[in-house]
Amino acid sequence: MTNITMQHNLKIFLLFAKNALRVTTQGRLGIIIFTLGKIVRFTFMFFLLFFIFSKTRVLKGYTFQEAALFYMIFNLIDTISQILFREVYRFRTLVASGSLDTILLKPYHPFLRILIGGVDVMDVILLIPYTLIAFYFALQGHIIFIHFVSFFVLFLNAIWLATSFHIIVLALGIITTEVDHTILIYRDMTSLGRFPMAIYKEPIRSIFTFIIPIGVMTSFPPQALLGTLSLSGLLFSFVISSILFYGAMSLWNFALKRYQSWGG
Amino acid sequence: MISVKHVSKIYKSHVRQNNFLKDIFFRTFKEYGAVKDISFEISQSELIGFIGPNGAGKTSTLKMLAGILYPSSGSLSVLGFTPFDKKREFLKQIAFIMGQRNQLIWDLPAKDSFELQRAVYEIPHKEYIKTLANLLSILDCAPLADKPVKILSLGERMKMELIAGLLHRPKLVFLDEPTIGLDIFSQEAIRTFIKEYQHTYKATVILTSHYLEDVKKLAKRLIIIHKGTIVYDGSLKNITEQYSTEKSIKITLDEKVSEKKINLIGKPLSYIFPQVIYSVKRSEIPEKIKIISSLLPFSDLTVEDASIEEVIKTFFEENNKLKVKN
Repeated sequence: MTNITMQHNLKIFLLFAKNALRVTTQGRLGIIIFTLGKIVRFTFMFFLLFFIFSKTRVLKGYTFQEAALFYMIFNLIDTISQILFREVYRFRTLVASGSLDTILLKPYHPFLRILIGGVDVMDVILLIPYTLIAFYFALQGHIIFIHFVSFFVLFLNAIWLATSFHIIVLALGIITTEVDHTILIYRDMTSLGRFPMAIYKEPIRSIFTFIIPIGVMTSFPPQALLGTLSLSGLLFSFVISSILFYGAMSLWNFALKRYQSWGG
Repeated sequence: MISVKHVSKIYKSHVRQNNFLKDIFFRTFKEYGAVKDISFEISQSELIGFIGPNGAGKTSTLKMLAGILYPSSGSLSVLGFTPFDKKREFLKQIAFIMGQRNQLIWDLPAKDSFELQRAVYEIPHKEYIKTLANLLSILDCAPLADKPVKILSLGERMKMELIAGLLHRPKLVFLDEPTIGLDIFSQEAIRTFIKEYQHTYKATVILTSHYLEDVKKLAKRLIIIHKGTIVYDGSLKNITEQYSTEKSIKITLDEKVSEKKINLIGKPLSYIFPQVIYSVKRSEIPEKIKIISSLLPFSDLTVEDASIEEVIKTFFEENNKLKVKN
């Protein structure tokens, strides 16, 4: 992609984001209820964590501060995914009504519209407290610079993995005209990553590391920050992300060839 | 500009077996050809009417030409590109406007969608202002651009859709049922607009419509598709001459005439004083006019071609007869 194309795509992305914000701010009551819902859900999960640690001092070798760090990093990854990929939740209507046609005809990659074209600005507000709390728990431990760099790289890798998962949802949406349940399955699976993967027994742990790499997405970044991730683990995460992205793009191209343009 | 060679499009659809378990676990599919081995060429600046009954394969063909659908077989070249590759240079030169699809942002005024189009197609600001003003003026709808799309009527929205689709001055325009569901005034406004746009920007326009009046008023060349196959590709004039074997003679009478006298000329299609309409074979027109002049007191007499609907209907009837014979 040339520099000019990148600039052009960025300009369109920002325009989509601006329009999404203008549409969102039309219903003010909806914004309040939506944000309250998010805060309540977050608080309840934190209470659950407190409750667990009121009964035990360690969770599979992790202290409360460490488990809370896992939870906060999960929330950051999950929230950024929701900010970026909100449009995926609305994809079914586009496919079923045939409106996807008008997007496929535009001189930009369709992902610019159907994947990241509906940035949910309301979630951006939640990122501020999440980041501050995550920092607070991170500072409780002994973190060195190299751990922070590894964490940052793996955090970006986690977003890349989330991108691939969402592309798979889009492709399945074209093939089956079904998005709502697929995205629910994805969300249910990722919610397993709220806590360290170590708490799950085999074969669940291996499945969510090697086959459906939710663990790589949510557990590897905090492990890197705590200095408990090996170099092979770091390299493995890039390999698995590349494989998943390649698979997602192949599935997307396959789906486009099968697209029947319904509702015409 | 457009070259279509032996293109087919096969769709697969699930066949119900009246057995719940079989339908889930042993699903059977049926393939049907929406487009079957079609070939044609279109030159620059042509305005083509692409018509046919429902499910004939019109929209599927257009969608393959635009790169939305992947052809099952055959080769397509549009503006020197393979449409399905969806190259930016190709997509920037085309527009596909569908009467049944909405590309405008529903909750925001149309001008926001226009701004988005400007960024997407990288239209220079001066050119954008000029084109927008021109299009708004041709369609006489400048105040509508500031209203949220959701409060516009169907006709008003269609005008905004047309502007959004044509802001980048595409070289090739696909218009799929642009007048569907519109009242006669909006239909006329949109027809005039298409004609003016094509004339001003020398664009190639491919139009599908169930309102044959659209095709009659706009297209010189007609491609008729039926059951996925092209059954006619030629001028509108030719098909009218070939399949319009009869013309109608409309007479405005000066005074009331008995039905007996009217029937002496031939059985009229209708007689509601002061107007009588006869349907007459082309070859018999001079003779009939002579008789009318000697028998009826009239102030006006016009000879008209059969309606385009009648022509196409006759065309399909003749085609079906031929198929039965073969």
